[in-house]
Amino acid sequence: MGNRGEGIFERISWDEALNEVANKIKEIKQKHGNSAILLVPGGGNQGMLHGIIPHALMLHQIGGYTRMWGAPSYEGALFASMATYGTMMTGNAREDLLNSKLIIMWGWNPANTIWDPGTSLWLAKAREQGIKIVSIDPIFTDSAAVLADEWIPIRPGTDTAALIAISYVIISENLHDMDFIKNYTIGFEKFRDYVLGLEDDQPKTPEWAEEITMISAETIRNLAREYAINKPAALIAGWGPARTAFGEQYSRAANVLCTITGNIGINGGYAAGFMRSYYSRERILTGSKKKSGPFKPDDETPKRPRLQDNPVDFGAAPREESLYKLKGGTNPANTRIHYNDYYNAILKGCKGGYPTDIKMAYIAGTNRLNQFPNVNKGVKALKSLDFIVIYEQFMTPTAQLADIVLPVNTFMERNDVAVPWLGAPYYIYLNKAIDSLYESKSDLEICKELSKKLDIEQSLLDLPEEQILKLFTAPRKDIKSYNKMKRDGYFKVKVDEPFIAFKDQIEDFEKNPFPTLSGKIEIYCEHIAEKNNPLMPPIPKYLTHDEHYDSPIAKKYSLQLLTPHNKRRTHSSLHNIPWLEEIEPHAVWINPVDASKRNINNGDLVDIFNDRGRMRIPAKVTERIIPGAVCVYQGAWYNPDKDGVDLGGCANILTKDVYSPGGAFPLNSSLVEIELSPNNKLEEIQ
Amino acid sequence: MNQMGFYFDQTRCIGCYTCSVACKDWHNIPEKVNWRQIKVLEDGKFPNLYLAYLSSSCYHCKEPPCIKVCPVGAIKKREKDGIVIVESSKCLGNEECDSKCLKACPYDIPQFGPERGGKMQKCDFCLERLEKGQQTICVEACPMFALDAGPLDELKDKYGDVVEAEGFKYFEKFKPSILHKPKLKNLD
Repeated sequence: MGNRGEGIFERISWDEALNEVANKIKEIKQKHGNSAILLVPGGGNQGMLHGIIPHALMLHQIGGYTRMWGAPSYEGALFASMATYGTMMTGNAREDLLNSKLIIMWGWNPANTIWDPGTSLWLAKAREQGIKIVSIDPIFTDSAAVLADEWIPIRPGTDTAALIAISYVIISENLHDMDFIKNYTIGFEKFRDYVLGLEDDQPKTPEWAEEITMISAETIRNLAREYAINKPAALIAGWGPARTAFGEQYSRAANVLCTITGNIGINGGYAAGFMRSYYSRERILTGSKKKSGPFKPDDETPKRPRLQDNPVDFGAAPREESLYKLKGGTNPANTRIHYNDYYNAILKGCKGGYPTDIKMAYIAGTNRLNQFPNVNKGVKALKSLDFIVIYEQFMTPTAQLADIVLPVNTFMERNDVAVPWLGAPYYIYLNKAIDSLYESKSDLEICKELSKKLDIEQSLLDLPEEQILKLFTAPRKDIKSYNKMKRDGYFKVKVDEPFIAFKDQIEDFEKNPFPTLSGKIEIYCEHIAEKNNPLMPPIPKYLTHDEHYDSPIAKKYSLQLLTPHNKRRTHSSLHNIPWLEEIEPHAVWINPVDASKRNINNGDLVDIFNDRGRMRIPAKVTERIIPGAVCVYQGAWYNPDKDGVDLGGCANILTKDVYSPGGAFPLNSSLVEIELSPNNKLEEIQ
Repeated sequence: MNQMGFYFDQTRCIGCYTCSVACKDWHNIPEKVNWRQIKVLEDGKFPNLYLAYLSSSCYHCKEPPCIKVCPVGAIKKREKDGIVIVESSKCLGNEECDSKCLKACPYDIPQFGPERGGKMQKCDFCLERLEKGQQTICVEACPMFALDAGPLDELKDKYGDVVEAEGFKYFEKFKPSILHKPKLKNLD
């Protein structure tokens, strides 16, 4: 009804809606091929079975769809973890923090972002035991304030420079662990030459870094010495600083720092990296453990796409820039379009050099428009499609743009199994608590019906929910009793000792090489070197970019925008809950120094803008953010007025839809300017 | 009387609001009413900063000032455990009596809600749960084990007898039933 995005909807029956969806899919498939169908998946409302899974399986059976690669949360950290260690399994069990002599929380705020339920508590216990904890962050976060002994504020996007200067101090003062480097790593000399300035005549001294990072050279020196001397020490490198332009470099630099101090594979140490620890999250679709390590010639390659393979990508050559010689990442190397380039892909299509002309979007488990960069371009792109279907519980900004909104139920209205997000030895069984409310249905129920309308004759989805769950959990041998898990609502896996990443490698290297191409930790990564891309150097390097503090555009837009997670919601989920809105009203954080220059007082209504968009929300003038940076917590819902000014305060109205060679999303690399809003009346946004 | 009370470890509180939201959820409290409130305490100049939270609910004072000022006797203190309870149905409402209890309480605990004539409501120490031998919902919910509740004497044995915290002043004349581990300000 009405034009797309007007928000005028008409209630129709399930049968009518699913007929329409099936007919559109068939029509587009027939006219343009399967690659014209874009699957837009997300992690919302997801268990092992429900959420995106049944939709993907169903669409595989009709010939597949276009999908994209890259995860905004962690793509930089993932790339760096794979390049350095060949695996995502780089984290230690949390209880091992008590064995550290020093804990560094780098851009890491577990008090708000959780990182497994017990993390903050273990950190508090460590601090109470007298273990020193340091937080490095542009924001005086809850973690910095409550869990840390010391807060070191840093200019956003300059973390790599700080890490490299710390390496400089350690190497030039001979505090690195040369035995460890010799035994377990390759390429140290190349990194050393860059750090000491032998490569480019610029020694990466603390003085060099001070100017860039706004951390004093003395602080950098002290931190470097403390970290190198107090062994074992845990450097926990959060993903936020990797959500920047060239965020891979930050993660690589952190991994290398852990490496050159020999803090790997030992109790109390930490490897940084992707930081997954105990984990049995075998890929749901393959049902088998996806081992890390190099691909070998005798690795089985199926002749035909299996149920878990998307036929559209099947057999395609890997992306040149991907680490395609390694197993165990999350991205199929043969997907072509990066998620942060998909608006361009939709708008420009084959003529613009993209592999396909996308005609429809099939969206499940995500408020994608809101949660991906450059919302204004997103609106344009989505409006240009022939058809959009979305599965939702709420009329989100993304749902507003759909042709058909299908009410999918929640985790409380169906059975499912959940696996701890980052890895911990337990499973959760989500017993159905109530029948589906109103006319909503589960993803599985919907796909069962839709499969018939799509003329799929036989499907795994024909099986009852419980039977599919048993099938999906069967490969996980650590679930000793499905029935016990279902009865108790959880299953705790017995482990002999807390997980320490790379313990096997360090204890017996001959038997257990690292799962990299060289079998060692790659300070210098040959696989990256093959790409021969100066923006993706084989050793970690500090790189500037066109929305950095020192870029020409910083004269026009002088404030660096941070878009971290907020404690009162999960991404955009729960933003629409009034109880939670009360906790911390949405506002842009700005330091008094920057506020007073602009005549902004606490509580004023301000406009935050750049070339991509403009939003209008109240200002929180606070000492808790470094001068030169402002913070709009991501996840607030896009709500444009008639002039396109976002009154909802959706951070992605200002972020940029580009990506780094390793895939990092520059969510914390946007420059903005702030001014008092024209009327400065808060009623405007209420 | 076996006075019941709370303990709050301010050094552990990460400001997650779980206690407050769990309370709202359990007691089904409407918007803008909070039986358990969180105060955000920020101080200092960049980069020497202090941030702490104070989680507070009714302190079930030994000498509750609210009881004395209530014109209709809607607030009572239980003999056996000292829990202060309010009979909301008796309450005249925030406008008719001018919120006398709220004005008398130094901790701003009594809650009326935003609507006109709202009746007073507040923490009842999870009486229903207490009778079943269960812990209060805020204590159960705290992921940091920063809250505890029980007979005040037992809490003193466990946690010592510090009563004040940042953002909280102990009034001898009311004797609030609370123990604290305060988060000290060390701004240089």
